Amino acid sequence: MGPLSEFKKYILEILTGSKSLVIGMGITFKRLFMPIVTVQYPRRKLTMTPNFRGHIEAIYFDDTKSHHCVACGLCVRTCPSHVIKVQGEKEKAGERKYGQKYYIDFTKCSLCGLCVDVCPEKTLTFSHEYELAYLSRWDGVIDIMRRLEAVTK
Amino acid sequence: MLNIKTIDDTTINERVYQLNLGPQHPSTHGVLHLLLKLDGEVVVAAEPIVGYSHRGHEKMAENRIWEQFLPNTSRIDYLSGLIYNQGYCMALEKLCGIEVPERAEYIRVITSELNRISSHLLGIMAFVMDIGAFTPFLYGFDDREHVLDLLERVTGSRLTYCYNRFGGVRNDIDQEFCDGTRRFIDRLRGRFKDYHNLITENIIFIKRTREVGIITEETALEFGVTGPSLRGSGVNYDVRKNEPYSVYPEFDFEIPVRKEGDVMARYQVRMAEMEQSMNIIEQALDNLPQGPVRSHVPRFIDPPAGDIYFAFESARGAVGYYIVSDGTRIPYRIKVRTPSFSNLFVLTRILPGNFIADAIATLGSIDVVVPEIDR
Repeated sequence: MGPLSEFKKYILEILTGSKSLVIGMGITFKRLFMPIVTVQYPRRKLTMTPNFRGHIEAIYFDDTKSHHCVACGLCVRTCPSHVIKVQGEKEKAGERKYGQKYYIDFTKCSLCGLCVDVCPEKTLTFSHEYELAYLSRWDGVIDIMRRLEAVTK
Repeated sequence: MLNIKTIDDTTINERVYQLNLGPQHPSTHGVLHLLLKLDGEVVVAAEPIVGYSHRGHEKMAENRIWEQFLPNTSRIDYLSGLIYNQGYCMALEKLCGIEVPERAEYIRVITSELNRISSHLLGIMAFVMDIGAFTPFLYGFDDREHVLDLLERVTGSRLTYCYNRFGGVRNDIDQEFCDGTRRFIDRLRGRFKDYHNLITENIIFIKRTREVGIITEETALEFGVTGPSLRGSGVNYDVRKNEPYSVYPEFDFEIPVRKEGDVMARYQVRMAEMEQSMNIIEQALDNLPQGPVRSHVPRFIDPPAGDIYFAFESARGAVGYYIVSDGTRIPYRIKVRTPSFSNLFVLTRILPGNFIADAIATLGSIDVVVPEIDR
């Protein structure tokens, strides 16, 4: 290979390199005239899809004017992270139990949805909350019954 | 005391020094630790040190019921969680003899292939960013965002989907999801031209990837490499074709194979695989049967005593669940064969003799997920 072909190769390399550069810049430039894809979050918010999985919450039923939880404890047993606590009580002996307290430690929840699937009364669902910043780790413990009261009032 | 002087000490002299690539290095994916012996810029020996993100998923399985292992499956490989989810459910369905409705199988294939596209997009773009191109990374993430939005619409979460259930899937898909998926496929096909212009035909990318980090067919088979890295070395092996599971035999798709075995070949295989995934999704959407998405399964399953090995293809290669049941509600043993582990250790063979800059490119092209190596 003579010095002339070396030189030719060198020039060719520069040319192909510049071509790549121009093509790449062209794509970037084209992008300038495309719509913006990011959402300016605190000013604009997206609506969550119906299937979005936030922390769990109780469903309000019209027939009991409350939830349908019978404190069976299946969700407590199914939870892989053991974050659910349920307490139920009976108003009279011989009556069905009624869910009185329901806490979920959301800081340890892995959002698998097994508790919602296993519920025999179908009274659990996912909320659409996604702004989950807390000042203390106890703020992550969510009182589901109080949330339901807040909704019904 | 931890003894990490496993590299043959005879290679060490005054010229050779040791470099810890990672555990916190911008070019390593996660907490990967590569111990490199360097002679100037040339790698003399390479040794991956694993275990930094070992979480004990296999042991965790032994003290929880079968259902409770479901959220773990999508956290073994967080980039293709749905595929792992599907595999675990299919393994147990095979063991228990649970029938799955056909619509559920189709939905599983659609969501898994979408997950494969998102994983490949991230894999390719992170690899391209490793070797210095930042722009394609942002474009790739723009496209990946659309996949995640689609998957969020049907599964409810964006990364650690716990969507498959024994005997089907959790939610049915709606018309809007089908239309959105078709729109996304059209969009991604259009974007491929940009990617080829930006990456595949870019002279810097070509120079950094051609004839670099060559895995020969023999080496690949010797180390048990699977997935796009194996197909980039000229071996036509894909679990979806060779040992078909689910409804994959009903679809018409090809397994992209490149003979070169270099970094470029692995990149090209991944790009071609995304196109094949889009073909599969389109066919599945066209032939989507009606019906239920979940068969009637007891609340807590009781598999019969016995063992089963179930292999499936994740975005990184062949995954296997070896499940031993002693007939109780708690697994006796779950062993997960993950592809990243075998794929990573091929570096000990192919890195020596290469420049350290090429080592980064090779590492990126193997596309390992560190939590999957350690499990």
